[in-house]
Amino acid sequence: MNFIPLLFYAAAGLAYGLHFARRSPQAGRMATASLAAAALVHTFVIGMQTMEAGHLPFVGAAAAISAFVWLLAVAYLYTEVSTDERAIGVFIVPLLLVLQAVSAVGDRVPEPTPVLDSPLLALHVMSVLFAYAGFALACVVGITYVLLFRELKAKQLGFFAARLPSLQVLDAMNGRAVGIGWLFLTAGLVVGALWLFQLQPDTVDPRVRAMSLLDPKIFVVLLSWLVYSFELYARRAIGWNGKRAAWLSALGFSIVLLNLVPVGYFLTESHNF
Amino acid sequence: MELLLLGVSHHTASVDLRERVDFSKRGVAEALRELAVYPAPAEAVVLTTCNRAEVYVACEHPEATQRDLGRFMSRFHDVPESELAPHLYTHTGIDVARHLFRVAAGLDSLVVGEPQIFGQIKAAFATASRQRTPGSLLNKRCTSSFAVGKRVRAETGLGEGAVSVSYAAISLARKIFGNLHERRVLVVGAGEMAELTAIHLQSQPVAHIVVANRTLARAQALAHKVGGTAAEWSALDDELIHADIVVTATGAQNAVISADSIGAVMRARRNRPLFVVDIGLPRDVDPAAGEFEQVFLYNIDDLRAMISENLARRQEQTTHAEAMIGREVDQFAIWQRSRGTIPTVVALRRRFEAVRQAELERLTPKLHGLSADARAQVEEVTRLLVQKLLLAPTAQLKAAPDEATAARYSEALTQLFELEEPRPTDGAIDQGDRADAGSSGTSAPTPTAKSPVAS
Repeated sequence: MNFIPLLFYAAAGLAYGLHFARRSPQAGRMATASLAAAALVHTFVIGMQTMEAGHLPFVGAAAAISAFVWLLAVAYLYTEVSTDERAIGVFIVPLLLVLQAVSAVGDRVPEPTPVLDSPLLALHVMSVLFAYAGFALACVVGITYVLLFRELKAKQLGFFAARLPSLQVLDAMNGRAVGIGWLFLTAGLVVGALWLFQLQPDTVDPRVRAMSLLDPKIFVVLLSWLVYSFELYARRAIGWNGKRAAWLSALGFSIVLLNLVPVGYFLTESHNF
Repeated sequence: MELLLLGVSHHTASVDLRERVDFSKRGVAEALRELAVYPAPAEAVVLTTCNRAEVYVACEHPEATQRDLGRFMSRFHDVPESELAPHLYTHTGIDVARHLFRVAAGLDSLVVGEPQIFGQIKAAFATASRQRTPGSLLNKRCTSSFAVGKRVRAETGLGEGAVSVSYAAISLARKIFGNLHERRVLVVGAGEMAELTAIHLQSQPVAHIVVANRTLARAQALAHKVGGTAAEWSALDDELIHADIVVTATGAQNAVISADSIGAVMRARRNRPLFVVDIGLPRDVDPAAGEFEQVFLYNIDDLRAMISENLARRQEQTTHAEAMIGREVDQFAIWQRSRGTIPTVVALRRRFEAVRQAELERLTPKLHGLSADARAQVEEVTRLLVQKLLLAPTAQLKAAPDEATAARYSEALTQLFELEEPRPTDGAIDQGDRADAGSSGTSAPTPTAKSPVAS
């Protein structure tokens, strides 16, 4: 069912592309409206999947990615409405599109598993995915920062200078997105650990038993947590703002993506529900 | 009634002459008052900027009025006619609309695409409206020019990019910091260039301006002028730590800010971005300072390069803009022609209606026996019949491809249907046209709803 929102995201992608090229306010409003429509349709799809499965459809890599896409779309729409800044949409929506395509290809309804029926788990998945959405936003904002930074440094103001908000705004957005993402990731990991401790002594599920710091999924997520912790620390303590912060958030998010797609699909033994 | 424009602009006259014919000296309102006395055109709008002085009028005899307007300008500004005449240009008819559209879009400006002209046209029209001098013809021209100017700017890059040094510096600052109103500006030097830039920056909502100069007294004088504070020369490094935007314009022969001191400043600032505009000649800031990641160092040549690039880009857009204007003028011409045929349309409709009424009158005794319902139906059927018969000829007349064809059609209709001599357009006919445009669904733009006011 995940291909239905995919079509809507594709339409939104076109609209954002048009807005970026033409910079007409009308195209901008159209872009926002189409993305809002896509997010709404996606909400319905997730709602239907919830009713079908009996719990929130975050189980399994495909469902998790779809939920992540939905969260990112909502988070981005929120930033767009609150900052009135649409230029980043053209970078965000393709990411939504690719990830939603991945989740649409591997779409299947998982078998119900009793260990998954826990509010702690839902909280864990929700907050980790929300953190990822924040990191995705930070990464995209970071990339746009570097693009604009290069034009300003080369004294060749052109394509991006005409379209992007100021460096300071992009840097602040990056900092805020990483900060929020880091908080949710930390909370999500703590909740996940609590769930595990509650469960592990008396479960026979091999996947739950495989959950340890050495499992690729858990190992890689901790790695990304370290990268983001360092970015936050370095920004405050040693003035690693701007370009360096942008590169760090790009590095962090590539680790997150690695975890979400290849590790989530093929490598992990613990999280493959 | 024909439109006429007479004017002087930077294309035809030197600054010296333009200054002498500047209407704003004695006031546009005064000019309009004098104009109303002589040559007393039916409608008038006076546009004045530092690069142009133009009089737009609607009149019956363009050639005579043109001479009169020339005399008026020479008398009003006290410039001998022989001196003024070679610099005057004039347009009539549809070319007036074309010229006004080009002016509104900024295509005719000294700096192509500059935005002020737009407000200046609006002001000219507002002043004239207060004096009740523009009528329906100029009304339509002016309001259309606002729309066309806006559209051309929105759809082309005509108004984009800074084209002056101060504006280029400010637009760069905006690209780095976004909002400037919490930014601290440090001006290094107190000479002419420093003063000019400081005054320009003061017009921006910046948080604070600090002036540093080797001679403190001069720094204080400039600081006083721009509402800032002065700093001792020895405190320069300290001020650099707190500033966001630094403008240097000293007359020093060597760099007054070294790369090393910028390095130390950046560490103390914890790498907060610093925008340095070095407009001194020779340069005041060691170019190596620009190597620090968060230092954005621009010198006067960088700014000039940006400006000429922007100007070139605007120039590229002019072809596109001219094409847009051409289309708008064509549209306008169609509207105007459809207006020209209005009297014929109205006469034709009156004629048909008269025939219908006469026939109904004649039939009254026969219809007497019918029920009220049936009588109403007869009335309705005949009305629809007339309307449908008139639909095609009206549309054809309005869509005539050129003025000559429109005139031929009008002539033929007048003779074939023995129409009465069409009267010149007036308010009532205007209304008839609107009603007709609604029912026949022609695509020609309808005149604006603003009520025409004549002097």
